[in-house]
Amino acid sequence: MATGFFTDTTLCIGCKACEVACKQWNELPSDGFSFTGDSYDNTVELSGTTWRHVAFVEQIAATPDGVEDRWLMSSDVCKHCENAGCLEACPTGAIIRNEFGSVYIQPDVCNGCGYCVVSCPFGVVDLIDSLGGTAKYSTANLQESRLDASKTALAHTGGVAGKCTLCYDRQTLGMVPACAKACPTDSIQFGDVATLRERAKERVTTLHARGETSAQLYGADDIGGGIGTLNAFFLLKDRPSVYNLPERPVLPSTRQPDGYAAAAVIAVGLAIAGWAIFRSA
Amino acid sequence: MNDEKPLLKAPHWGANVTTYLFLGGIMGGLGLIQLLCDPRDESMRKLRRTTRIASFLLAAVNPPILISHLGRPERFLHMMRIVKLKSPMSVGVWGLVLYSGAAGANMVRELAQSGVLPSWMRHFAPHALTFAQAVLGAFTAGYTGVLLSATAVPLWAAGKRHIPAASISSGAASACALASLLSVIEGNHEACVKTERLEMVASAVEFAILMDFRRVSGDYGKPMFEGPRAEKFRTVTLIGGIAVPIALNLLGQILPLPKPVDAARTVVASVLTLLGGYVLRETFIESGKASAAVRQTAISQPT
Amino acid sequence: MGRGGATAWVPDLANADCILIQGSNFAEAHPVAFRFVMQAKERGATIIHIDPRFTRTSALADIFAPIRSGTDIVFLGALVSWLIENKRYFHEYVSAYTNASFVVRQDFQDTDDLDGLFSGWDAASGSYDTTSWDFERDAQGQIVTDETFEHPRCVLNVLRRHYARYTPEMVENTCGIPVATFTHIAEILAANSGRERTTAFAYAVGWTQHSSGVQFVRCSALVQLLLGNIGRPGGGIMALRGHADIQGATDIATLYDLLPGYLPMPSALRTESTLAEYLASNQKKTGWWANMPKYVVSQLKAFYGKAATPENDFCFSYLPQLIGDHSMLPTTFAMKDGNVRGYFVIGQNPGASGQNAELVRSAMERLEWFVNIDSFENETSSFWNREGADPSTIATECFFLPAATVLEKEGTMTQTSRMLQWHDKALEPAGTSKTDLWYFYELGKRLKALYADSSDEKDRPILDMTWEYDDPDEPGEPGEPSARKVLQEINGYVTATGEQVASFADLKDDGSTASGVWIYTGVFPDATTNRARSRVGDDSTSLGWGWAWPANRRTLYNRASADPLGRPWSERKKYVWWDETKGEWTGVDVPDFPKTKAPDTPAIAGASGMDAHSGADPFIMLAQGRAQLFVPAGELKDAPIPAHYEPLQSPIHNALYAQEVNPMMRQWRRPDNRYNDSPHDYPYVLTTYRITEMSGIMTRYIPWLAELQPEAFCELDPELAVEKGIRNGEYMVISTALGEMEAKALVSGRMRPLRINGKRVHQIGIPYNYGRMGFARGDSPGELIALSMDPNVSIHESKSLTCNIRAGRRAPLATPDIEMAVPAQMRTTIGESVAHGAQ
Ligand SMILES: Nc1nc2c(c(=O)[nH]1)N[C@H]1C(S)=C(S)[C@@H](COP(=O)(O)OP(=O)(O)OC[C@H]3O[C@@H](n4cnc5c(=O)[nH]c(N)nc54)[C@H](O)[C@@H]3O)O[C@H]1N2
Ligand SMILES: Nc1nc2c(c(=O)[nH]1)N[C@H]1C(S)=C(S)[C@@H](COP(=O)(O)OP(=O)(O)OC[C@H]3O[C@@H](n4cnc5c(=O)[nH]c(N)nc54)[C@H](O)[C@@H]3O)O[C@H]1N2
Ligand code: SF4
Ligand code: SF4
Ligand code: SF4
Ligand code: SF4
Ligand code: SF4
Ligand SMILES: [Mo]
Repeated sequence: MATGFFTDTTLCIGCKACEVACKQWNELPSDGFSFTGDSYDNTVELSGTTWRHVAFVEQIAATPDGVEDRWLMSSDVCKHCENAGCLEACPTGAIIRNEFGSVYIQPDVCNGCGYCVVSCPFGVVDLIDSLGGTAKYSTANLQESRLDASKTALAHTGGVAGKCTLCYDRQTLGMVPACAKACPTDSIQFGDVATLRERAKERVTTLHARGETSAQLYGADDIGGGIGTLNAFFLLKDRPSVYNLPERPVLPSTRQPDGYAAAAVIAVGLAIAGWAIFRSA
Repeated sequence: MNDEKPLLKAPHWGANVTTYLFLGGIMGGLGLIQLLCDPRDESMRKLRRTTRIASFLLAAVNPPILISHLGRPERFLHMMRIVKLKSPMSVGVWGLVLYSGAAGANMVRELAQSGVLPSWMRHFAPHALTFAQAVLGAFTAGYTGVLLSATAVPLWAAGKRHIPAASISSGAASACALASLLSVIEGNHEACVKTERLEMVASAVEFAILMDFRRVSGDYGKPMFEGPRAEKFRTVTLIGGIAVPIALNLLGQILPLPKPVDAARTVVASVLTLLGGYVLRETFIESGKASAAVRQTAISQPT
Repeated sequence: MGRGGATAWVPDLANADCILIQGSNFAEAHPVAFRFVMQAKERGATIIHIDPRFTRTSALADIFAPIRSGTDIVFLGALVSWLIENKRYFHEYVSAYTNASFVVRQDFQDTDDLDGLFSGWDAASGSYDTTSWDFERDAQGQIVTDETFEHPRCVLNVLRRHYARYTPEMVENTCGIPVATFTHIAEILAANSGRERTTAFAYAVGWTQHSSGVQFVRCSALVQLLLGNIGRPGGGIMALRGHADIQGATDIATLYDLLPGYLPMPSALRTESTLAEYLASNQKKTGWWANMPKYVVSQLKAFYGKAATPENDFCFSYLPQLIGDHSMLPTTFAMKDGNVRGYFVIGQNPGASGQNAELVRSAMERLEWFVNIDSFENETSSFWNREGADPSTIATECFFLPAATVLEKEGTMTQTSRMLQWHDKALEPAGTSKTDLWYFYELGKRLKALYADSSDEKDRPILDMTWEYDDPDEPGEPGEPSARKVLQEINGYVTATGEQVASFADLKDDGSTASGVWIYTGVFPDATTNRARSRVGDDSTSLGWGWAWPANRRTLYNRASADPLGRPWSERKKYVWWDETKGEWTGVDVPDFPKTKAPDTPAIAGASGMDAHSGADPFIMLAQGRAQLFVPAGELKDAPIPAHYEPLQSPIHNALYAQEVNPMMRQWRRPDNRYNDSPHDYPYVLTTYRITEMSGIMTRYIPWLAELQPEAFCELDPELAVEKGIRNGEYMVISTALGEMEAKALVSGRMRPLRINGKRVHQIGIPYNYGRMGFARGDSPGELIALSMDPNVSIHESKSLTCNIRAGRRAPLATPDIEMAVPAQMRTTIGESVAHGAQ
């Protein structure tokens, strides 16, 4: 039985409790303190040290009474793809599919090659530099204990790929992932993926019936490009690209046959040319 | 605001990976050249020895380069935990290891034959390894392209055929350039004539592939063919690394130049080709980074 | 309505058919409670948000209407008018449960007669003589009523006239809410009220931090009463309390003019030198408050134990007496003027979150000593080395006592539903930190030791104080007082046996019972039951979860959820009703009514206590048992019916009356507290608020939170940004007559200029949570806001101001001029006169 997330963005209030809960549970360091000016999003993107990211999309309509204005919020996370680009790409076998059906990075196996980073069609996984580099805050001001607390989990690794574990450790203890637990409005729902999918489809029907016709699922069904379904899928209020999600993600490994074939054609061609040149007097 | 947000992660790769890919290409090309050499011909025998020694040395420096990227030596060994056909990085590393083996054995035979090593050691490598090194070489040069194209980086993905094809032809051209250079140093002019001819063919093919890539890649190709990076790519690779060496080599083939001048011509052409080959890889990597930041192409990824 | 807490409880919001959120950024400031708003929404409720800014709450609401800050009474008043004129109020409820039919005295004059003033205004003292704000009485002293609502002076008609000029057009021209939006909202509210449906209101400090803050809230009560939504499931007015235990802090009296349990503090300004005099001036003769003597005496017994006897007035004379307004703002001025010697600051950071924060910090330089108990060093504790200060010239002796945080101690917190919940200690206090309880217990013990040998009469209060909170049975830090024992004393006990008292109904006025806080009686009903610890939830009212005062009631005045005859208004909204067969009130909540008092019980004319109320008078805490649409004399200082006044600093003239601002508001016009008197120089409306990611110094020091909103920012609309050359993400300066601050600009279409009477009005907003320390830092709007306050509860006006803005950064702060000459007549002594008023 695979477990995963149904993130219902129609319920998200943008409180970022999921972001904080994830960082706290996983003892991930802060990514520094810089103001982006991009709505209320100072996190910007998922990264090796940010495994939940709440996107804020301001859609301000031109009507003078403001009734049409929308401010979309959505908590993004690793999709735990059915066919995961990162998992396929990983040369060390550090990325595995665990007993909960999640795509899990074993930090002690990962060698930091960074190949998974470029192989995720959703731009999720990233390398965590050695901590000296990521911890951008001024240590002069930080009480040592807190600095240590935010470093411990990563201290033994230094230079590995990082992304959501779907709270593997918590799941093995029968606990709900930290982000879902913290979400006050049940925007993040955790559970058996098949059940969640059914619930999500019902929810879309309800929303459509209410007139919210732009409500759509992302990744509950085969998303195409060879990726299949997503164990962490979403209910969106607008097109995926509005939330910075790819409309047409493609599983990178699907391109390999073409690549090898093209290389072989040229290799053979050059070999023949070379044979002709070298064997001539 | 949202339009500026990156969707994909940029590669973390820099000069060491560029070098790794570049050397992988040359190794591949050298594998082909050592196969093509007819040992009955003195100059070709010399060329075969040179290319075999060079290919092994290159194969030997590549792991340290990879390790410099990974940070710690034991991390290279993690690559050896598994063989994963779906992962170009995994098969590539294994390809490299096998190639090193073949190149090493072939070099030992070469050295045994020329008396540097005890002559019984010539049996160290069966003849089949000559062919094996060539095939593995082709693989090594080609996989460096597949490694890039089988990713989500839009530019690389859009070049799913072109980049492997360009990698292998550029690898062959660079290998020829290196072989010419070494031959000139050795005074093996006969060999040089042949490697330069092959280089011209390989470079022409590379040029054609890159031009075709430019034509078909559309928006996906922009980070490579337009903007500030394109300038360097054009001057160093397309003009300096392909057009000029082709012209120089053609000159060498047609005009009977005095020896020292001809040698200088070869040196210049070869160095330019090698530089062009390096900058091609650098362009792939750096434009790949830029491409990952182009939101529109990340939203609708190349199939 | 007679109690110091919200009438509603948070999870009950899920039962609402419509929720009007106004004066609160519910989703951002109360995200966990907002869960229940989302549940209501999922069940089909309409969510309406009215706010100067489009916030995360607006994003989730079905309807958002932007409003000019400080004009809510115009909107709410227009709703009152609309409901009355269109006869859309809940007639049966209004006539039975409110004082709508009471006839107002003939000599009462309204704002329309006096252009913004009510009768009784005394310009000399700057206050009202409120005698005329009362009801007409017949020869027997009974209030004259007119159930037909025809009498021109019955409350409903007084309201009708008072709000006649609060039209939808007035709303559009004053608040900036279009007429169509207003009527749409009015229709929705009316459609979702009545027998079958209920609407809930939710507000917080967006309504209170105004010079007429109390009247904003009052006006919402008018609307909810007319709609018949008080005391019913999914109804009520949800006052969202702030800090985790702010409800508890008001219950147990951190306010200067209250004793625990909302008993008034004795005052030397009234004649209250004996218990009898005190009761005479404060006890209401009718309604539940007639029981006041029991609560006062029990409290004195809890304070002074055996020493409190009937003979010595239960030590009533030990209590301090008020000699004026000792609230925070006047005290700050007194401190600045050298009239305060020492200052305890415990768990507060006025140096950043206070208004005129520099006044606060520089006032502290005049102190002889300063004690700060806090978990963090903050802008207040470090006032002596703040930017611009010269420590070598500051003589204040400072003590910093490190406080254990909430995780490092046990005890209860009272949350916004008036619910006490016990929390255990999860960690040992870090370093040398001690709990606040330990500090106070220790202070008391040491004072007792210091005075042990005194025979001076004035030292008796300390010597007689009961102070035994050690508990040998409880393992813990040596010397750590037992929070359980404190809670047991708060609950109360029988003095003779020490047995716990189960209910405040058992408290006596003869000294046989002791109880620290009568409203909390029942939380610890016997020696072993701590109901704040209980955690049994269910799908309904979850009476087994925690314990809510009073008597574990969740919805206050829930008698009103049944009709006058005691039957549920509808099956759908069934809650508490009269069970004919058992002869008692029953339902899913604890009835807020005498259990066996039948609905048809008549009121006994001239009787005292609850007998003066009939079985159909739900508002048991009020003298007449009826909710007050018109507040009679003496209960509020500034108005018996809410009237709109502009904020003290506003770019707009009052469109309703010549009287611009609340005549009773307190102002301090001094060189160190300058107001923006020229709208021309300060043309933009400024409002302040909080954001989810930040609280105060605590969050600014937590990297995980600090990174989420890493710097102070200012929200402004794109049009204004272009006009002023301010670029998104870059620095801008906000200025007032008081000072300047800088912040990063956050330009967003969520901020929208309004059209007010043909004039374009821009509003900008700044979160108040920042300060100059921590990882996330920046200037606080407290640097811009001069002190002024509301007359009833001494709240500052920090939600509606004016300012000017420009691109760029502010100048570095210079050495503060604490010696700034303040003319003698502008200075403040400790406990200054309580009469406020226009200056
Ligand atoms: N994350 C977080 N949560 C908190 C706190 C915190 O610091 N951080 N603080 C807690 C505390 S102490 C409190 S008191 C509560 C306060 O809770 P809220 O009152 O909900 O919070 P605010 O953000 O101060 O103000 C609410 C809204 O009032 C709007 N407003 C301003 N002026 C007016 C006006 O004239 N009319 C109307 N209708 N709206 C107006 C503001 O734009 C703002 O959106 O929050 C508590 N919750
Ligand atoms: N302009 C503007 N100003 C405002 C407001 C506004 O909306 N606009 N809101 C106002 C409101 S509603 C409020 S409530 C105030 C809030 O203002 P403050 O009460 O000053 O707010 P905090 O920054 O939360 O300060 C709480 C302090 O308590 C400390 N603390 C935390 N836990 C403990 C503990 O267990 N023991 C002790 N001893 N200390 C502890 C913290 O470290 C911190 O220093 O700000 C007010 N100021
Ligand atoms: S979203 Fe990306 S990182 Fe996550 S499983 Fe899929 S490919 Fe891997
Ligand atoms: S960085 Fe680690 S997890 Fe990612 S592909 Fe390389 S070894 Fe695998
Ligand atoms: S499942 Fe766990 S690791 Fe993944 S985002 Fe949630 S809290 Fe973080
Ligand atoms: S915790 Fe839930 S509501 Fe809050 S931002 Fe995350 S997903 Fe949204
Ligand atoms: S900070 Fe605490 S009190 Fe406020 S919403 Fe979160 S859990 Fe509730
Ligand atoms: Mo507050």
